Amino acid sequence: MPANAVTAAPIAPLRSPILLIPLAWFVPGAGHFLLGRKWRGLIVFATVLVTFLVGVAMRGPLFHPVDNGDVLSRLIQFGGYLGDLASGVFYFAATFMGYGPPDVAGYSPDYGSKFIVAAGLLNILAIVDAYEISTRQKD
Amino acid sequence: MKLDHFETTILFALVCSVILGLVTKKTDEERLRYGLYCFGCFMAALFGIGWAMRILHG
Repeated sequence: MPANAVTAAPIAPLRSPILLIPLAWFVPGAGHFLLGRKWRGLIVFATVLVTFLVGVAMRGPLFHPVDNGDVLSRLIQFGGYLGDLASGVFYFAATFMGYGPPDVAGYSPDYGSKFIVAAGLLNILAIVDAYEISTRQKD
Repeated sequence: MKLDHFETTILFALVCSVILGLVTKKTDEERLRYGLYCFGCFMAALFGIGWAMRILHG
């Protein structure tokens, strides 16, 4: 190596996506944290948590897959269920603690329901970002 | 918790902008700028659609 060669900056240890993706799903921000992006992981965790808690505070009902009803209703329910589930530990903690308000009319629970789904969708964006970092597609 | 439509939309725009800024750009400065840009777009849509509904609905 020449004496004036520039040494590359140390690269953060990369993790296997097979382990990283389930962990990043279950604990929002954990993927970034494991990849050495601690502040970004913390921001993801806090943002997904705040979004989920706002939805819960607004008494937003959770989605459940249903077998009856028309195709569009079943699709919406199933899609919403996947969105709820994408919040990981927050969804499981809420259901474990018995959270499950009835689906009542009113804009506040309706917004709350959307906030809970949005928390999961934001977590999916963070999971994709963690995956791309782990595979060196981005920093 | 009872928020009105405006407060709810602002909060939604804020959390979405934070994550969108965080996951899309390479440097911290670019992330901040893109997060602010997204928030600005949300606000433009909020006020634009709000005024459009007011004008069209009467």
